[in-house]
Amino acid sequence: MNRTPRVLAATGLLAYIALPWYTIENPSLTSYPFGDEGTALGLAIMGTWWLLPLALPLLLCLCIALRNRPDESCAEWLAVLGFVGFAYLLAQGFAVGLHGWNAEWLNALFGAPGPKQQGMGFGALVVGVALLFLGCRGLAGMGWCRGDTFIVSSIGAVGMLLALFVFYPVATILTSAFTDDKGQMAIAPFVEKITDSSIWGLKCLGNGVACGVAWNTIVLAVLTAFASTTLGLAFALIALRTKFRFKAPLRVMTVLPIITPPFVIGLALILMFGRSGAVSGILFRTFGVVPTRWIYGLTGIFIAQVLAFAPIAFLVLVGVVQGLSPALEEAAQTLRAKRLTIFRTVTWPLLRPGLASAFLLCLIESMADFGNPLVLGGNFEVLSTKIFFAVVGAATDQSRAAALSIVLLLLTLIGFAVQQLWLGKKSFTTLSGKGDPGLLMPLPTSIRLACYAVAVPWLVFTFAVYAIIFIGSFVKAVGRDYTPTLASYEIAFRVEHTSFGWFFSGSAWPSFFATVEIALLAAPLTAAIGLLTAYLLTRPDFHGRRALDFAAMLSFAIPGTVVGVSYILAFNVPPIEITGGALILVVCFVFRNMPVGMRAGTAALAQIDKSLDEASLTLGARSLTTFARVVLPLLRPALTASLIYAFVRAMTAVSAVIFLVSAQYNMATTYIIGRVDAGEYGVAIAYSAALIVLMLVVILLIESLVGERRLGRRPAMSNVAAAPT
Amino acid sequence: MLPHRSGTAVLIAAFVTILIVSALPVRAGGSLVMYCGVQEEWCRAVSTAFERETGISVAMTRKSAGEVYAQVKAEAANPRGDIWWGGTGDPHQQAANEGLTIEYKPANLNELYDWAQRQWQEARGRTIGIYSGALGFGYNEKLLKARGLPEPKCWADLINPAYKDEIQVADPNSSGTAYNLLATIVQIMGEEKGFAFLKALHKNVNQYTKAGAAPAQAVNLGETTIGITFMHDMIAAAQDNPDIKTVAPCEGTGYEIGSMSLIKGAHNLENAKKFYDWALTPAAQELAAQNKSYQTPSNKNTPLPKLGVDLSKTKLIDYDFAKYGSSEVRNALLKRWTDEVKNQPR
Amino acid sequence: MKRGPAAVEFHRVVKRYGDVTAVDDVSFTIAPGELVTLLGPSGCGKTTTLRLIAGLEMATTGSISIGGLDVTRRSAAERNVSMVFQSYALFPHMSVVENVAYGPSVQGVRKARAREMAMEKIALVGLEGLEQRAPSELSGGQQQRVAVARALVLEPEVLLFDEPLSNLDAKLRRRVREEIRELQLSLGLTVAYVTHDQEEALAVSDRIIVMSNARVAQIGAPRELYEAPVSCFVADFVGAANLIPAEVDKADGELASVRIGPCHLKLAHRGIGPGKAYVAIRPYRVSIGPPCCGNGELEGHVSKVAYVGDHLEYGVRISVPAVELIAIVPEPMQAFAKGAKVAVKINPTSAVLVPADQA
Repeated sequence: MNRTPRVLAATGLLAYIALPWYTIENPSLTSYPFGDEGTALGLAIMGTWWLLPLALPLLLCLCIALRNRPDESCAEWLAVLGFVGFAYLLAQGFAVGLHGWNAEWLNALFGAPGPKQQGMGFGALVVGVALLFLGCRGLAGMGWCRGDTFIVSSIGAVGMLLALFVFYPVATILTSAFTDDKGQMAIAPFVEKITDSSIWGLKCLGNGVACGVAWNTIVLAVLTAFASTTLGLAFALIALRTKFRFKAPLRVMTVLPIITPPFVIGLALILMFGRSGAVSGILFRTFGVVPTRWIYGLTGIFIAQVLAFAPIAFLVLVGVVQGLSPALEEAAQTLRAKRLTIFRTVTWPLLRPGLASAFLLCLIESMADFGNPLVLGGNFEVLSTKIFFAVVGAATDQSRAAALSIVLLLLTLIGFAVQQLWLGKKSFTTLSGKGDPGLLMPLPTSIRLACYAVAVPWLVFTFAVYAIIFIGSFVKAVGRDYTPTLASYEIAFRVEHTSFGWFFSGSAWPSFFATVEIALLAAPLTAAIGLLTAYLLTRPDFHGRRALDFAAMLSFAIPGTVVGVSYILAFNVPPIEITGGALILVVCFVFRNMPVGMRAGTAALAQIDKSLDEASLTLGARSLTTFARVVLPLLRPALTASLIYAFVRAMTAVSAVIFLVSAQYNMATTYIIGRVDAGEYGVAIAYSAALIVLMLVVILLIESLVGERRLGRRPAMSNVAAAPT
Repeated sequence: MLPHRSGTAVLIAAFVTILIVSALPVRAGGSLVMYCGVQEEWCRAVSTAFERETGISVAMTRKSAGEVYAQVKAEAANPRGDIWWGGTGDPHQQAANEGLTIEYKPANLNELYDWAQRQWQEARGRTIGIYSGALGFGYNEKLLKARGLPEPKCWADLINPAYKDEIQVADPNSSGTAYNLLATIVQIMGEEKGFAFLKALHKNVNQYTKAGAAPAQAVNLGETTIGITFMHDMIAAAQDNPDIKTVAPCEGTGYEIGSMSLIKGAHNLENAKKFYDWALTPAAQELAAQNKSYQTPSNKNTPLPKLGVDLSKTKLIDYDFAKYGSSEVRNALLKRWTDEVKNQPR
Repeated sequence: MKRGPAAVEFHRVVKRYGDVTAVDDVSFTIAPGELVTLLGPSGCGKTTTLRLIAGLEMATTGSISIGGLDVTRRSAAERNVSMVFQSYALFPHMSVVENVAYGPSVQGVRKARAREMAMEKIALVGLEGLEQRAPSELSGGQQQRVAVARALVLEPEVLLFDEPLSNLDAKLRRRVREEIRELQLSLGLTVAYVTHDQEEALAVSDRIIVMSNARVAQIGAPRELYEAPVSCFVADFVGAANLIPAEVDKADGELASVRIGPCHLKLAHRGIGPGKAYVAIRPYRVSIGPPCCGNGELEGHVSKVAYVGDHLEYGVRISVPAVELIAIVPEPMQAFAKGAKVAVKINPTSAVLVPADQA
């Protein structure tokens, strides 16, 4: 009974005594255990007095655990000691910073500058985990969550992780927006920044001045959402209600945007319609149309986004169209309504909530999109790019970036909230568990033709876009010189055989290896945390479940650029100092992509009878065993989906990572963006093409390994949608 | 009943292991972190050459000068980089003024040209010139002729309304090159006239790019007809596309001193110093021309690139690095440019 | 490892979900080797009580002990209790034998031994030869047996059944409940059994705990509940009863004099003092006839007649006190038409006095 607390308390104490407390740059052990690489105990002896109190809860917990009399008051003590210890660990970490006290009032109270310390390291990590789990063990002993230690500990761990990696960064960005350069609370500058005319200016209505970025963002989002939804509907109707012969390409089209790095479409558009683009060249030579730069700006971003998001709308609407009961239309038919009338009076109103849902989804996606505006924007600025330039520009202004982030965050959250609250409850779906007899009614001719007219050219266009990426990567320069060459691939992926063995001298290799490494690290973690959270949200009943749900979905709704900015603000300084390495990227991916695994898991778990878990529990299996042997095998499709999704997103994400990449860990996407910016399109498209192929291979591989082929159709993923980039 | 009791222990062990495994790569993989401000190819050549020579592994990121400056500033509390190599001198100067970089006297200081030594003295040893290049512009002759446009020879020619939407230049907020242009124009014409010129130029600019050299590539690809960059960037692009013509403006032009600084609080200071000394040797500086970068190297013993611009034959203004590298002047100019030029209608 | 059947003890157990009290101050004891049924209408807290024994719910206050050991705060996995679920909860991704061997295998028993144990129980429930099937390939009755075998394999101190028969058809239900009872008796198991079917409860139980509105209404042997219900609720729920308002005049000795409208009766008073009370009488103990002598009879008229095969079911509307009685009369007796005036005679041996407060 008391083994777990004993092991926990002993581990924590051991870490306190023996593990280096702070992060170490270059392990050398010269200053162990009293200097920079000192252990908590060593440091405490040497004068880092604020680490001393941490020994107390650990020692007491060990004493309690060794007493070996499991009663309730023991559990209460464990809970109190564990959580107080953990809270103290955090408190000291946040109070004592790199250059002294972190808060003014501490300076005032204890005198500036106060003690200093670095970011927490392994010692702190192990002690923290031990204290947290001791507290959870205590709560379990008090009968929380049916006394299930695994569940309480999981809730503790997941809750803590979400608090640290979702709420804390957001809180940091908020405080940063409200403080001035000197760290003082400043409301007026914030109000000034957030209502700035560069954000909300409307002068563009009169003369040629650029509009405020917020308006740019909104206008673009509305246009994109409208067009994407229209196209998505046309595709959905064609796929389900006609005898269209080329449905396979339609399905392929739904997969492509998932495996395409977001800016690649923008890049392809430049190659086609840029001034020296392939199509522009043909137009110039045959019709004498002088190429212009029309593709740079609103038009270009709009086209690129519609290409990227129409498939998402399609995925949502296919579900909706499938959900329409044929019986309703048949009923209308027996009432002698004409086909067009039925479409207008029955089908269309039933489709409306689905349309609104798809519309809002594309709206959010468009607002969060970063890659396409960056590549195609020209002088048309949107919030996401503006945030980026506020951080990376020479006139770097983090509080301005924070203010812009808040505007973008609010816009997306509003869209998200409307989608979740208003549409989440209002559903006209007529799908029931019972078999629904009746034949799907073919479309009225006029509607059918309209659908074809919209969808077929678009389909051709989409394939042209992908074709130019693949073809373009094999020629010297698209639009200028079509000599076939492998030069781009050679620059990017050259491998030489030297006397030391194989040497990867291509310019893409470092970022490629880093990307694969990080995606491989992130994918299983993302899937694991996502599914675990899904399990916690559906199975045990506990207080704060809604908060957990909210936190998880919040991390999904925050646009990537905002996440990027908030992560730099939050994690570049102690106590949690993880920027500049692989960890920050892995963490970022895990918490950005976890909600999708979570949604897939929740949907799958809803279909699994709760008494299966309970049966396992009563047979003496603990929750962990139950999860591993009963729940997980039944969650395979959800596992596959979230693994694939997590991997692919980690490979293709741009917006958040562009802030977080470092010298050692540059990501493929940021590298490609750099190439695009420098005008080296050849390397950029060769690399993109290679990535797309790689991801297709990986998807197929994961599917064959984990089982069940689900290419294209992502369960539950369609309603939360592919994440904002 | 024992085995399943350890379930929680297994969970914890797994949790900790995952955290540790994913934390491992955080420790500096290379023992020199370099922020590189020149062309990708050159950056790579330099870092590999240094690796080969010293066995110190280099982790290199290429960014534009403004971005490196921003990053160094953002990381000031806890620096990640060790050495900042390359890129226009102004942000280096600014970083020096703000105490983001530290002073160091290289072993071969007196082998350098005067302009490099002077800059080092002005920055109180906190930054040093590694190459120099003059500002100019280039155009795609074929496109220019196709549109029936005149050939630009001077800065003043560029505000000809005929060039509407034909000129590309970087945004001085992110690019050191573009700031150099801003400062150059102000120094040639005076601040008021200079801004009047920039406002007029604004009407002709089709896009403000992020990186300073990007307009050269755009000219090469035909995305723009005229691009304002350092002349060496344009010359490099011309290697690829013979239609490109490089112009040294008739009024005279400003120039940059591509610099190098040691970042304050560098974790690998000794290696950074080794690199610092090495980067000023002719052997290291020769790598530039070998990698299509035709700047003028700062070591007198380094042979001048054949294709490069001979600075002695170009009409150069007396660029005031100290003044235009200072934070106050720089920020004021950038703010004015953003407000009065960039945010105005075209 | 091996432990015999154990006693289950509830002491003042309360379970609340927010404002809702699902189990309110419940105390009872289940003796070792006894089959006790939790009986009550849906929502009365019987399933929650069962889940409290299993450890699938945690008591808000009060204590629960199994085999003399306080398990109030122990999780399900730490209690030596097995459960047969209403839906059977067979793991769909495991074969029959894997399902049954699951318990021992998660306890760390060697695979071969676990399988051996599983086969033993599969044989016990008569499913030899089907062990490699998937649960979905079995009939409802067979699935139920697998669930029982799986619950038995760990030889638990207490075995719990949550409405195990509700997914079976009427005929099968009878057979299976007999099998469960036989198994329980032959293995001497302590069993807690939840059902809302009073007939099922009466048939299989040693004792029955009747629950109503989260509380225990009565605990007793089937006959005790049937013949001496302590409340109108129990009287009505355990076999339907007619409840006639009555007045207890005085109690002397064992008997009390009771007044029902015009008639007077002497009934066992069962601790009920003077004042308002009810008299419960089973429908087939109600004797009706043509009105005759007036005294000791309640007068009324037939409001309903239904022919239900081997007997007739009458509805009789009594005028004083105003109440409608159900009477079940074997057919060959005298038949009355709807509307006919009848008199109801109450035989003191077939009537029970029930307190009024819980009506």
